[in-house]
Amino acid sequence: MSFSEFLSIIFTGNTLALIGAALAVILSGMGSARGVGLVGEAASGLLAEDPSKFGKTLILQALPGTQGIYGLITAFLIIFKMGILSGAPATLTVAQGMYYLLAGLPIAIVGYYSAIKQGRVAAAGISLLAKRPKEVGKAITSAALVETYAIFAVLVSLLMVLFA
Amino acid sequence: MSVSRMKRLTVFAHKERLDELVRRLIKLRCVEISQHEEHSIEELSLARINCDARRLELESDISDIGRAINLLDPFVKRSKGLFPQKTEVDTEAFVKKGHAERSRRTVKEALSAEDRLNAIKAERAKCEADIAAAEPYVEYDMPLGFSGTDSSDCFLGVLPPATDLDVCGKALYKEGAIAQILRSDKNGIYAVFFCHKSDSAGVSALLSSYGFLRASFAGSEMTATECIGDARKRLKSLSAESETLKARLVELAKRVDALEVLYDMEATELVSVEQKLKLAATDSVAVIKGWIPARREAAVEGFLEGFECAYEISEPEGEEIPPILLENNGFATNFEWVLGMYSYPLYGRFDPTFIMSIFYFIIFGIMFADAGYGIILVLACFGAVKFLHPAEGMQRFLKMFGYCGFSCIIFGVLFGAYFGDLPLAIMRNMMGIPEEQLPNLALMGATGANVALLFDPLQNPMGFLLLSLGVGAVHLIAGMAVQFYVLCKDGHVLDAILDIGAYWLLFGGISLLLFMPSVGLWVTLAAVAVIVLTHGRSEKNIVMKLLKGLLGLYDLINYAADLLSYSRILALGLAAGIIGQVVNILGTMGGATVFGFIALVVAFAVGHLLNLAINVLGTFVHTSRLQYIEFFGKFYEDGGIPFEPAVPSEKFSQEINQ
Repeated sequence: MSFSEFLSIIFTGNTLALIGAALAVILSGMGSARGVGLVGEAASGLLAEDPSKFGKTLILQALPGTQGIYGLITAFLIIFKMGILSGAPATLTVAQGMYYLLAGLPIAIVGYYSAIKQGRVAAAGISLLAKRPKEVGKAITSAALVETYAIFAVLVSLLMVLFA
Repeated sequence: MSVSRMKRLTVFAHKERLDELVRRLIKLRCVEISQHEEHSIEELSLARINCDARRLELESDISDIGRAINLLDPFVKRSKGLFPQKTEVDTEAFVKKGHAERSRRTVKEALSAEDRLNAIKAERAKCEADIAAAEPYVEYDMPLGFSGTDSSDCFLGVLPPATDLDVCGKALYKEGAIAQILRSDKNGIYAVFFCHKSDSAGVSALLSSYGFLRASFAGSEMTATECIGDARKRLKSLSAESETLKARLVELAKRVDALEVLYDMEATELVSVEQKLKLAATDSVAVIKGWIPARREAAVEGFLEGFECAYEISEPEGEEIPPILLENNGFATNFEWVLGMYSYPLYGRFDPTFIMSIFYFIIFGIMFADAGYGIILVLACFGAVKFLHPAEGMQRFLKMFGYCGFSCIIFGVLFGAYFGDLPLAIMRNMMGIPEEQLPNLALMGATGANVALLFDPLQNPMGFLLLSLGVGAVHLIAGMAVQFYVLCKDGHVLDAILDIGAYWLLFGGISLLLFMPSVGLWVTLAAVAVIVLTHGRSEKNIVMKLLKGLLGLYDLINYAADLLSYSRILALGLAAGIIGQVVNILGTMGGATVFGFIALVVAFAVGHLLNLAINVLGTFVHTSRLQYIEFFGKFYEDGGIPFEPAVPSEKFSQEINQ
């Protein structure tokens, strides 16, 4: 078997589409895990002093978690479109598979990056919350601004998949 | 609609009646007492009122009461119901009936009970440690502290568990010691050794070399059994005491309502002490300087007339900067906090709250157009206001989102969004209606099934983009109109016409280019000429005049950039719809089966609520941003300090004698 034959067996349309779905979940999930983790570490420091702020730290901690959800939604939609869920998977051409792979990339890459950045903003928001509890709204607002780009990315990913 | 007019209040009052005066002013809830300037105190050789000690005392009292409330709260089942209401209280009667004194005693008793309970915990731990220490020596019937007689020494203690007893025993015997093994377990070999005083040093050294640890019961005249018995007895009495204390706490917890009233009473007293710290006084007279809203002048005057004091209410003068209180109608008031997040207007300048609130309402609705989510917002927000009785600030916060919910419903119906595309998803996947029989209601741009009255954003994204930019254009022009108005009001009519009017002419000309190119071209050229020729009018040098005039045209790029910024309405609007649509695919996947309905309910509870939460936050942030940067950037003169009158503490209770 030549190398190109090997490649053509490995990379069929279906596996390419699955790589797209997997990347959407893996990368955005990794980003969210890091972001949520970052905020959690900062939050524990504050909660040691004042456990009653748990509700507010929870909101800040949950913010970088949404990218993981966006990745999940995108992956789900790709799998759904491939017909795996209805039990009759379509046979995609390599070009079609590549299309799904590319459609998964916006939320995969932007999700990864924005979740980490959002985590850092939210972690800084925890120290704002510690010093000025009344200004927590501003901390949430700052973190939510980072979210925008994840929303744009998931919008494009979903549009590409939905109207494929 | 406007920044409220403020008046300077100056009151001279006898020091003896100052406490009462300050207390009553706090009750009026419309007086902000200012910090008396340091330099004026020095010039007039006044002095600050000395009540720092009282403040510290109150702060410690309040923290004690708070601790007592937290301590007692778990012991009492209060029938607060689902929607707790603040206790209504008449503070004067509360004090008169002795509730205040009794509550103070309750606080003391509760806190000392807590201290004692903590001490008991420590003592119990000690008793348990004593038992554990004596336990291995129960076989030994001498007092544990026994260290020998006049001529003999006694070593009680433990050898490491791995000690070879044969070797060790023989070595000790050689040194002249006799040994008795008391117990041997995994922790070690407990033993006692006796020897003649003359052999003591050798035996001790040998034992140390085997790793012997001497037990430390110095001076104890009890045997191990007695020791354990004694500790058990103490444990029992501690348990009994702790039970009594806990029962007492349950008893005290019945008064926790009164403690809460006391808390607010003391906290209000702290507010009044904090006000007094700002004042200046001579030996007998104190000066209060403060701000009141002009519309409350009559009320304040009415009160001061009846009070033994000299006062003056005057217009702000000189360099005094009055604090900012906004006056708006019942709708726009709820948007003041959005303005506050940015910055308050300067005193006497334009308050944009009302205009902003209208655009906020519209833009929020388009950005988050969904009738289903809108209904949830309306019900949740107004429901919370009605049943949970939140504080005023929170009420406004909730009402603002409630009103925006109405806007979401309106645009949701226009764009045919009900929890994403739930109606269509149900018809398609659960009722099995074929695609061509699905409704198609849209007025324009329909490419498939929809339930929109106007158009479906997903089928007509270009239409949605144009709508977004159109709203943006109106918003920007409104911002310029406000600037036009402000300039005219300040007497700069020419500036208004040349700087803003000329740009409107330019916008008009550019729009006309699309419909009537010949007219449009001339209008555009005329506008450009006006801008280039007049924009540099403040410069003296003719070259600079021309350069600055050309630079004036650069603003057109800024306006274009501002306008494009409104495309975020499209982006966020579509995102909410698409995520909702995916949730619906998940939810209706199971078809019209039992499993299908369960999936639908779960998708609803989790998916749609999550989508709602994420998008309310996103929409709020981006609608605000459009106001702050694109709208306010055109005209807003900000930097005012908000008016914060001294008010009574109402954390738990509400005074009925206002």
